[in-house]
Amino acid sequence: MSRSSRSSRAAIGFLAPFGVLFALFFVAPIGYAVYQSLFTVERSGPLGLGGAHTVFAGLSNYSRALADAQFTASLGRVLLFGVVQVPVMIIGATLLALLLESASARGIRFFRTAFFLPYGVPGVVASILWGFLYVPGISPIVSLAHGAGWQVDFLSSGTVLWSIANIATWQFTGYNMLVLIAQLKSVPGDLYEAATIDGANAWQVVWHIKLPMLRPALVLTTVFTIIGTLQLFSEPLVLKPLTGNINGSYTPNLNAYTEAFQNNNYNLAAAEAVLLALVACVLSFGFLKIVGRREKP
Amino acid sequence: MTAVVDRPATVQSGQTRRHAGTPAVRYRILVTALLAVAAVYFLVPVYWLVVSMTKSSSGLFGSFGFWFADPHPIDNLRAVLTYDHGTYLRWFANSVLYALVGGVVATLLAAAAGYGLAKFSFRGREAVFNVVLAGVLIPGTALALPLYLMFAKVGMSNTYWSVLLPSMVSPFGVYLCRIYATAAVPDGLLEAARIDGASELGIFRRIVLRIMSPALVTVFLFQFVAIWNNFFLPLVMLSDSKLYPITLGLTSWFGYTDRQPVLYQYTVGGAFLSVLPLMVLMVVLQRYWRTGLTEGSVKA
Amino acid sequence: MNAGAVSRRTLLAGSAAAAAGLGVAGCSSSDSGGSAPKAKERKPGQKITLTFWAWVPGIDKAVDLWNSQNPDVQVKLEKVSPSGGAQYAKMHAALKAGNPPDVAQVEFQVIPDFLLDNGLVDLAKYGIAKDKDKFVDWQWQQGVFGSSVYAVPQASGPMGLFYRKDLFDKWGIAVPTTWDEYAAAAKKVRKADPKAYISTFPPANGGWFTGLAWQAGAKWFDTHGDTWTIDIDNAETRKVAEYWEGLIKQGLVSTEPDQQDSWFADVQHGRIVAWPSAQWGDAILSGNAEPTKGKWRAAPIPVWDKAKPISANWGGSTTALLRGGNYITDALKFAVWLNTDPKSIDLLIAGGYGWPAAKGAFAGSALDKPSPFFGGQKYNTVFAASDKLIDKSWKWIPTIQATYKHLGDEFTKAINDKTSFATAIANVQKATVADMKAKGLKVA
Repeated sequence: MSRSSRSSRAAIGFLAPFGVLFALFFVAPIGYAVYQSLFTVERSGPLGLGGAHTVFAGLSNYSRALADAQFTASLGRVLLFGVVQVPVMIIGATLLALLLESASARGIRFFRTAFFLPYGVPGVVASILWGFLYVPGISPIVSLAHGAGWQVDFLSSGTVLWSIANIATWQFTGYNMLVLIAQLKSVPGDLYEAATIDGANAWQVVWHIKLPMLRPALVLTTVFTIIGTLQLFSEPLVLKPLTGNINGSYTPNLNAYTEAFQNNNYNLAAAEAVLLALVACVLSFGFLKIVGRREKP
Repeated sequence: MTAVVDRPATVQSGQTRRHAGTPAVRYRILVTALLAVAAVYFLVPVYWLVVSMTKSSSGLFGSFGFWFADPHPIDNLRAVLTYDHGTYLRWFANSVLYALVGGVVATLLAAAAGYGLAKFSFRGREAVFNVVLAGVLIPGTALALPLYLMFAKVGMSNTYWSVLLPSMVSPFGVYLCRIYATAAVPDGLLEAARIDGASELGIFRRIVLRIMSPALVTVFLFQFVAIWNNFFLPLVMLSDSKLYPITLGLTSWFGYTDRQPVLYQYTVGGAFLSVLPLMVLMVVLQRYWRTGLTEGSVKA
Repeated sequence: MNAGAVSRRTLLAGSAAAAAGLGVAGCSSSDSGGSAPKAKERKPGQKITLTFWAWVPGIDKAVDLWNSQNPDVQVKLEKVSPSGGAQYAKMHAALKAGNPPDVAQVEFQVIPDFLLDNGLVDLAKYGIAKDKDKFVDWQWQQGVFGSSVYAVPQASGPMGLFYRKDLFDKWGIAVPTTWDEYAAAAKKVRKADPKAYISTFPPANGGWFTGLAWQAGAKWFDTHGDTWTIDIDNAETRKVAEYWEGLIKQGLVSTEPDQQDSWFADVQHGRIVAWPSAQWGDAILSGNAEPTKGKWRAAPIPVWDKAKPISANWGGSTTALLRGGNYITDALKFAVWLNTDPKSIDLLIAGGYGWPAAKGAFAGSALDKPSPFFGGQKYNTVFAASDKLIDKSWKWIPTIQATYKHLGDEFTKAINDKTSFATAIANVQKATVADMKAKGLKVA
């Protein structure tokens, strides 16, 4: 009894500092957003100078957000983005990890560092960099392409989403690759050796040993990428002035930001933040669930 | 559960035995070529940045982006550092402050919580752990807006604290630390220390932290980079440019370029300076990234 | 007994309490700043620093001048990015947080925006009435609502046409005086240099388009008592929209955004050879296209009807005091000084702040001198004339920023999908009415 209560007290002691901050800066904001999203501001007079007061609005902010074609379009846009970009990047990262870990690779240290480097470039800075490489008239890539008779426009309505995807891929492929390499390194070396001695060729080793080994790391990186995708903000914000094809509601996050600070609809913005968190949770839990179900026969 | 030992030598000997001769050479050329193509992709924007950092604003618009034109790297960097009473240096210092303090505190809190969850059994432990895991899955930017409204309410938005405090929480760090502590901290060692009369806090400080240090370095690096690269939270929280981190400062320059074209040059120069320290950090500490990650993902 | 369960419960309960506590606080005070915080005032002999957010290039020099003359009331300038309304997002956030700058640059069209959020100090209560006669009346009226005055006018943006005289001469193109002639000139430019366009139609630039609709005689917004009328979808607006739609469809203008990287590159390299813009565009051109110095001229903005020339206005700024700021008396003194002191005005003119709101500021000022960038032309006589031909009864709504966004969205969509600009305008009308209603305002 005394032993277990001592141990419980210690557990509280160790958990409390994190727990308090977690409650304040993770749990409370969600609660506060939910609370705020249930209210709306009413005004009187043509400029609201007759006074303004906050009234309970039920779920009307949610129905307004979901009825807003711009907001739902922004959700659809990041989903489309995710469906393409997440697999492309994860496959790319896996490929690079396998190549670097293959026996035939040379200059491993150099390549690994080169691939990982963009992770250290903040998203806004990466967007400014790529922005210069996208804008016609300045971009050396565009001028080289034009020189070769190839008319590229990275900022047209059809391409700009993928130009943003490219920025995200550039930034995070190397990071995901490193996670996967860490996983590969944890595989006992004699396992490979045993396999090769047993006559397995390089492809068979990859297919039957390495890829199954990578599975947990692949799940982890995929979930993080899904969450990251839903948070898209700084890339479209930085590229927005460069093209009419990105507007203030291009992604759900940008839309919430615009509603909050440009249009002063804080309550609506709160509802959008809650919806975004909800979608993120459903998607990542859903993904884990699907993966988990297949794991247990 | 110690640091990962590089093992390429063993693997190689096993495979070269099999693919001796021409096929191996052909493979090597193919693999190296693929890696080189990827390297070009990842390094081109960095190369562009290095070239452009030496140019004036009109050079940025008027010359070919992938080659030098009238380079003045030193003058340009000096101009970046001295513009507007050296505000860039202040932003740099702010970024270091946010990332360093936030990173250290987040790591220590995560270590304690992860250890608590790993080595003490109590009812509801898994529930607590699941709540923390849910925290990992919530997009940070969805929290930023309500956090701003909360801080505004208590009059603390636009302060150092408004960026620092939320940066001190790392649910992912707790997750990594729990997994690492479960595997790496031997129960016997803890028991022995308890029998010797050591306090729980003493055990944590003197024994557990040391054993967990590889994971802690990883958690710290993660959090450091996450804070350093963070944009949305400072964007909504801060209105005083004295409190800006570099990310926000550079975008504020970039947004003002049409009124003051010289800022194009400063933005590019400032971007160059801002990526230097992190790149050094990544290259030098690469081993630690992998070490802690191995532990985390293996058990995921 | 298991303390673990308690710990979890306490944790959750604690966080719930925290959320609830904040919630209660949220309830008690109005969200739109109904109760204004009591502003601090300066005690005699006390030294203070006012914070001032603005984005006119060169305004720092005027602030420096004030600081050298007023050791006790120092002004700390912060330049904020005007790109895509970012400056107002920042101001609204600061207002909400209760730590706004004491003084801020606020454009004509967003004053109602700020009023709706109760964000501006009523200067009438601080005796601004005595300064009324120092300002041009229509600019003064921009800040007047009922018996209240919410802003000190700074400058407006009478429109004109900047063009590359050297290229126009070389290609034998006469300076267009009507919009029909402008379309003809656009065709000649394309013929003379397939890489060049006369100008761009910037789809996302709602302010620019609004200026042109205003010129065509549209009256978008009005109030009757408490009720607003929104009339964006009218014949005049459609005429302007369809005119540009025609130019775009014939490939006579480009559709890249203006005042951005690629546009600057095009302006520098003679691929954009004209710009229907406001007076303050002079500084943007001279600042960003230094290599083309001496080759530009200004001409009157093309008109729809030569017999009844009407000009246009794009932009215009005031200096306002944000609610929650301090030292109102001194801040107001600074705001009036900034916009009326001849030396300050000269510095602001050099920075390109627009057309002075102060009466009689033109004659003898820097505006009244030949400009080397414009090849020695006394180009501001063009804008002096333009200023006289603007319809000055135009009104703004409190959701104009959203309307600008709708204009950008709809024009972009119409260009991409090749749908009609008339539909775009009709959509903007609908969306604007919905915005106003969502704010709890009455719309007829």
